Amino acid sequence: MPQFDPSNFLPQMFWLAIAFAILYFGVVRLTLPKIGKVVDERASMIAADLSAAEVAHTAAANTGHAYDAVLAKSREAATSVVSDAKAVTVRENEAKLAKLDAELNARLASAEARISDARAKALGEIETAASEAAADVVERLTGVRPGELEARAAVAASLS
Amino acid sequence: MANPMEQFEIKTLSPIELGGYDVSFTNSSLWMMIALVTVAGFLFIGTAAPKLVPGRWQASVEYLEEFIRNMLAENVGPEGRRYVPLVFALFIFVLGCNLLGLLPFVGAFTPTSHIAVTFGLAALVFLVVLGVGFARHGLHFFSLFIPKDCPIVLLPLVTAIEFVSFLSRPFTLAIRLFANMTAGHVLLKVFGGFVVSLGVFGLLPLGVNVALTALEVMIAVVQAYVFALLTSIYLNDAVNLH
Repeated sequence: MPQFDPSNFLPQMFWLAIAFAILYFGVVRLTLPKIGKVVDERASMIAADLSAAEVAHTAAANTGHAYDAVLAKSREAATSVVSDAKAVTVRENEAKLAKLDAELNARLASAEARISDARAKALGEIETAASEAAADVVERLTGVRPGELEARAAVAASLS
Repeated sequence: MANPMEQFEIKTLSPIELGGYDVSFTNSSLWMMIALVTVAGFLFIGTAAPKLVPGRWQASVEYLEEFIRNMLAENVGPEGRRYVPLVFALFIFVLGCNLLGLLPFVGAFTPTSHIAVTFGLAALVFLVVLGVGFARHGLHFFSLFIPKDCPIVLLPLVTAIEFVSFLSRPFTLAIRLFANMTAGHVLLKVFGGFVVSLGVFGLLPLGVNVALTALEVMIAVVQAYVFALLTSIYLNDAVNLH
């Protein structure tokens, strides 16, 4: 096998050393750092973009929460305004009703008073008429007309 | 039938002598240079104008670089980043030699099918591991041979075994790659010889050769990967001492 011929060793190793030295110092050492640099740059750019996106996401979430909070607050305010208005209306209605009630009661009371007046007046007239009638009856029967006051007392006694 | 070993013959293309030593430019040297130029072309095109959004060439280089970087990160840890260029160079050089040697034409040669080349690379790895180990840990690096929680009675034996296995690393690393490449090329050559000698029935070994070529491409990649992986595992010993 030519592989085990010692006279082949030195020339191959010599040229291997040259080829590998050129490859390492003249090629890999010159080119690979460029790739490493661009890879690092890309990684840091992606990381920066991702963190920016994260920040934007957080900001958006915060805005959303703020919006929700404002919305909830407005809703609460609207509800309280509505309930206030309702309460006010109820109170006004109650006041109006009470006023109306009082007015009606007053009118009722005056009407009642008028009725009782009229009744008393009518009763008085009845008494007068009854006593005159009673006096006429007594005059017709006895020929003596009783005194007006006497007839009136007798009618009042029999009516009560 | 052609001798299947003939393809591994070293042919001197231009005889050079340096201080009495033979350092001729051979077909092996030529194919190492072809691999070097190919790899250099790939890397220089891929990194000519690095962009944040990579093109095809840049993406390919990045993919390989990331592959090696992850391998070192997994096996060595954050410290492994310093050794990315070395492991990357080893990986891409072995890969280039392995794959270019599979090109099916007369004169194609696989430098990594020669133990001198693979041993040269393995010795480089071994020396780097020694250098990193002693530079980082000083004489404490020898504690690599003393496993944790080992009973005192077994300690001499285990230490001797660990020492021998440590010393054998460059040889196993070199022989694994060389043997895989040589065996693959011998197989291809043997079946290739059958194609010619069997006439019409040669279609069968031709089909086998097609399948074998696919297998060899896979082996070429896997062996380059194994070489780089073992290098990073050995570097882990030197950096972290177990």
